[in-house]
Order: sequence, then C-alpha cells, then structure tokens
Amino acid sequence: MRTPLSLVLTFALPLILLVATGLGKNSAVLGGPQFRISLALTVGLVSIGTVGYSLAIARDRDTGVFQRLRVTPAPTWTIMGSRWIVHLGAVLVMAIVVLAVAGLFVRVTLPPQDYLFTVLVALLGSAVFLSIGQAIVGLIASADTLNAAGRLLYVPLIGLSLFGDTDRLGTTVELVSRWSPGGCLEALLSAAMGATAWSDQSWGALFASVGYTVVFAVIGIRWFRWVSH
Amino acid sequence: MQSDAPALTSALRVTGLRVTYGPIVAVDGIDLEVREGEIYGLLGPNGAGKTSALSAIEGLLRPAAGDMVIGDIDARAHRMQAKAQLGVQLQATSFHSNLRLLELVRLFAGLYGVTLSAAQIRELLEEINLQPEASKRFRELSGGQQQRFSLLIATIHDPALVLLDEPTAGLDPQARRQLWDRIERFRKEGRSILLTTHSMEEAQAVCDRVAIMDHGKILTVGTPAGLIAAHRDDPRVRQAAHGGVTLEDVFIALTGQELRD
Repeated sequence: MRTPLSLVLTFALPLILLVATGLGKNSAVLGGPQFRISLALTVGLVSIGTVGYSLAIARDRDTGVFQRLRVTPAPTWTIMGSRWIVHLGAVLVMAIVVLAVAGLFVRVTLPPQDYLFTVLVALLGSAVFLSIGQAIVGLIASADTLNAAGRLLYVPLIGLSLFGDTDRLGTTVELVSRWSPGGCLEALLSAAMGATAWSDQSWGALFASVGYTVVFAVIGIRWFRWVSH
Repeated sequence: MQSDAPALTSALRVTGLRVTYGPIVAVDGIDLEVREGEIYGLLGPNGAGKTSALSAIEGLLRPAAGDMVIGDIDARAHRMQAKAQLGVQLQATSFHSNLRLLELVRLFAGLYGVTLSAAQIRELLEEINLQPEASKRFRELSGGQQQRFSLLIATIHDPALVLLDEPTAGLDPQARRQLWDRIERFRKEGRSILLTTHSMEEAQAVCDRVAIMDHGKILTVGTPAGLIAAHRDDPRVRQAAHGGVTLEDVFIALTGQELRD
C-alpha cells in the first residue's frame, strides 16, 4: 500500500468482481451471494496480503529502506511488525467496504454478529496470506522476480479456493482445493456469513489456517534477508 | 596497528574485529580507535573490508569475533544502547518513498526518542537549505540534496560518533565541498567521525588520521602528512609518485596497482 491510488486499485478488483458476478440472468450459476462475497474477500486478501505485502517488502529491501531503519535503536521486529499492521489495516478497510457494497448492491445483509465474525475471519485470512507473502519474500531476493512469482501465485491461490465445494474437476482437485489456504478461507467465510453451519469442516479449516500461518511465517522469518544482495 | 599519539578519550574502540561471510574473511581481526573530536578516515580499494567493518560497528551484521566499545558502551552486549549513540549515513540509502521530508524527520526523530516541534523541524531543514523542499519526497531531491538530508537524519539525535560510508560518492565538486564544511562543523561541535572514502583528496582535506585497509587488514595508521613522511622513501611509493609524494601514492604503493572489482 504505497500510495492512495494503489490502495484504491487494490480495493477495486474485489468490488468489481463482487458486482460483476451478480450481473446477468444466470449469475446464480456462479454461486450464491455469500459465495460471491467470500470470493471477493479472498481476491482482496491475496492482493493485499500476498502480492502487495511481498512486493512492498522486496522494494524496501532493494532500495535500502530497511538498512536505514536497522541502524536506529528501533527493535527489528517493529520494522516488520509495522508493515504487518499497515496491511492488516488495509484488509480491515477492504473487508468493511466489500461488506458495505454487498449490502447495497448484492442485497446481502447479515446479522450484526455475523458481520463481526466475517471481519474476524478476514483478519485471520490476512494472517495466512501475509505469512505466505513473508515466505515468498524470504525465499526470493529480487523484487522483479518476486513480482513475477506473485502474479503466478495469484492464479492457484484464488483458483483453488473456487473448487472446494464441487467435484466437477474430480475428487482430488476438490480435496486439494478444500484444504488449500483459499479453500479454508472460503469455508470459514461461508460459516461466518451463515451460508453453512459451523461444522467439523469449519474447525478443520480454522486449524489448517493457523497451521499455514505458522509454517509460512517460520519459513519467511528463517530465510528472510534484510538486503537483497 | 595504532599510531603513537598520546592516549585520549575514545569515541570508538574496536579490537580484534573479524567479519566473515561463510568461508570468506572480509575483516580479519582489525583494531581501530577513534578519539573524541577526531575525524578518522578508513581508506581501501573495493573489497578491502571497509563497509563490512563499518556494518559491524553499526550493528547491521554480527561479527565473528572482536570487541567494540562506543563511548563507554559495549556494542556487542548492548546493541540498542550503542545504536542510540551512533549517527549513521549508509553508502546507499533510501527512505520511505511516499513520505515527505517533514514526515521523515518526524519519523526518525521519534525512532531516536527525540521530540521536535514543527518550528524546530523547519529550522533544521533551513540549516541545510531544504526548507523549500519540506513537502517533497526524498526521491524528488537531487543527489546533493539527498546527501544533505541523509546527514541531517544521521545527526537528528545529536550523536557523539557519526559513521559516514563514502559520503561524497557521486557528488559534484560544489556539493562535496559543502559536505566537507558540514563535516568540519561536526568536528567543531565536538563530534567524532569515522568515514570511509575512495577519495584521497577528501582524506587529506578532512581527516585527522587515516587507516589504509586491504584484504581485511589495516596496513597502516597515521595522519595524512605523517603517512606521507613515513613512506616517502619506500621504493614502491617513489615508483607510484608523479612528482611530489601524495597520500594517493602511499595508498597505491601499499595496496597495489591491480584493478579491484
């Protein structure tokens, strides 16, 4: 989130997706309103958490911003922590905007506690995708390579989240999709918005999400370098 | 290796500093001492180990061995307290691209625990002729303006010891002279300065003492005039000299003529 324009553009994609998938007579084929909202939230989370975060960190590393901060008496965890807070804040705003647009244009309103639950799940999801971003920036040194890798990752991270509830592409794809980071998030958002009941599948998705966060964060911290050369 | 000058209070004392990158030894057990109010130059060809030594002192990398005392603080045992005593200007530095100069001054003052009013910030920017640029972003400044601003940030907390890594690299002669004046002003304010440079002209113009470093070791230490006098009769120096012996001739004679990458 380097400029107000980049923030607006990042918000634009999930909002366009949310509204566009509701257009036309056969829009229901794409899924129910809650599915479209959770898809929009997932796209926003991947954009902000994985692609946006890793690219921002890589650029700051390339230009020496981190080294400048590291010679100050500020503890190093605060340098990275401040970046996490900024991106978590962006996710929070994105989630609220998506839910507000969903209420206005998709005619989906939720009980107050479900709004809260959905926002909390979005924050958990952002921890998952931020840790994936941290792992990427830990494993890839160059900002240019990372930019390309981020775009490549965009497809499986979002694509896999689409097929967790359908076996149209086979049961293996369904299984992989269901337990992918995006699939777990879809399951949790679905339960949070009341589209499905909270179940063992939801608990499994919750534990898997926490596991993903820990594993990717450990990889990202273990291999992270403050300089790119 | 140290000169025989009388013992004065040290701003920085480094003993047995060793920095390694895997099997590569970048700094091989050097000793150096920067006295209070002194400008100390660390000279050496590319890859000599200057920046690695400086990075270890700055706390950017963990040395394999050695002790570093900044003022009276053990820098290895108390890294944060030591960092608070240092003003640092890195070789290649950048600041958050979307912040304006005013905001950057406030941010870095805050990181060092210094509270500055808007008027004080304006005054500081005025001192380095950047008050009209206060609302600009760092990337919008010229090279000389960026260097002046970096130096302001390095000294925002009034440190006793300032570390400058090739501070005049890429500057035009006017900007370089202006920076020398500023370094000279630091000395008058009682600060100590440790700088690295490739410019022998700069070392002769501003440094009280210089150390010539190569292959991770300090080869010699002394005042620029003292080093010239001590090595004047060295055949390698006489061979390197074109006319009168300069510090550059001593440097070339000690570090060799082959090109370094």
